[in-house]
Amino acid sequence: MSRRSAADRERLLRIIGLCVAVENRGVDPFEVGIQEILDILRKYLPNWRTLEDFVLDSETLRRIAGIVQLQGDWVKRRSTSLFVDPLLIEVKLKIMDTQRLVEVFQKTWHPVVEMEMLSRARIEQAIDYWNQLATLDERRLQLPEPSDTLGSLTAEELAKRNILSEESFREALESLWDELKSRVGEKDRILYWDFVQQETYDETVRRAYLVSFLITYGYATMQINPLEEEVFLIPNEEVIEPTFGKQALTIPIAVDRETWERRTKN
Amino acid sequence: MGKKDQKLSENTAVIERRIKRAAKLLFYKRHRQPGVRGWELRRTLGGNYLRVVELLNQRLDNLDLQVNIVHEPGIEGEQSEANLDRARFYVTLKGSLSTSDLVMSGWRVDDVAALIVTVALIVSRGGKVARRDVEAILREKFPGWRVEQNLNRFVRLGYLAQDENDVLFMGWRSRAEIDEKLLLKLILGEPMRQEKAA
Repeated sequence: MSRRSAADRERLLRIIGLCVAVENRGVDPFEVGIQEILDILRKYLPNWRTLEDFVLDSETLRRIAGIVQLQGDWVKRRSTSLFVDPLLIEVKLKIMDTQRLVEVFQKTWHPVVEMEMLSRARIEQAIDYWNQLATLDERRLQLPEPSDTLGSLTAEELAKRNILSEESFREALESLWDELKSRVGEKDRILYWDFVQQETYDETVRRAYLVSFLITYGYATMQINPLEEEVFLIPNEEVIEPTFGKQALTIPIAVDRETWERRTKN
Repeated sequence: MGKKDQKLSENTAVIERRIKRAAKLLFYKRHRQPGVRGWELRRTLGGNYLRVVELLNQRLDNLDLQVNIVHEPGIEGEQSEANLDRARFYVTLKGSLSTSDLVMSGWRVDDVAALIVTVALIVSRGGKVARRDVEAILREKFPGWRVEQNLNRFVRLGYLAQDENDVLFMGWRSRAEIDEKLLLKLILGEPMRQEKAA
């Protein structure tokens, strides 16, 4: 980049800065010498080579067009009855005392009148809403459990859902854990379906449900072989307390009737 | 009562209902800003809504109130239907406040002075002025922190608007509440007329 080009660009940037200042500050746009700037643009144009140069040139021209528009507005405003020289107003404001300014405000201020009040209909709506609104405790029951906490199904709830009858939930889990350990025996693992599969579909679902708690509560772990699409259960020797602070990993296993029937036939 | 009288009575009842509806719309704050747009009045009161507003205005006159129509900036005075649709209709005080009323309204004297200087500068410069120019003038008489606090407050209240280049404009509230022409005249020294006591 030649030193001259750099200086030319610098000059265009200064012109753009001047136009922005005039636009923003509301000062007399006739202070900008339009003709002079256009002459400069015309003189520089043959020397521009890069895209950036042409963009800068067109930006300057756009800013100049903005100033010309401001000059038009300025003339229009000066021709209206409302026009008063801003400098005169500024001088008058500076010499006015505060009391006189307050008097001017009093004469020219017509505050907006507005009402903010509750209507009878709105109050009735609010009462209805309050009466129908369930308590926070009731509403909390309807909310889904957060993902990082365990669902708490009590033995009574399980009994109500016919998942457990007289048997306590903890006892059922421990009994299943013992069975898992004995089925695994010398081997260290057993196929998930081999363990869950029962003579009836209902019993299979019940067992799958309990196995999910065995894993969640740390009685057993699950091993997945993604290539063979095989899922194994490995009983833990001792219960490993689950860490609820960590994000829980959920592995969905479909225990659908079709799979159960296919496996039963095989 | 003859048919003609009955018809007249029905029409009067309809007009009365519309005037009441217009009063509710205009007085009752329904949005973040008070007042309603022309198109909202037209939708609720029908095509002849300006006549209803005029009748309401006549009644408000007795209470020293008025319906003030504020057009969008740049289209003042043009009463086309499209412009009226976009204009905002407010109910404002018609006369001026007494000194005691002004004191009761919670305005400090120096706050009022700062607002009036700022608005006058904006009006005289064609609708916008750089914030730093206003600050420079106000700082001749008020401490810097107070100037800063006041300008921010005026923006928050809607008296001023400010763009990303720190240029100040008239806010919606100034356009609704302040008589710009009278403001400039009074600053230039036109004597104040004594109004009849309310």
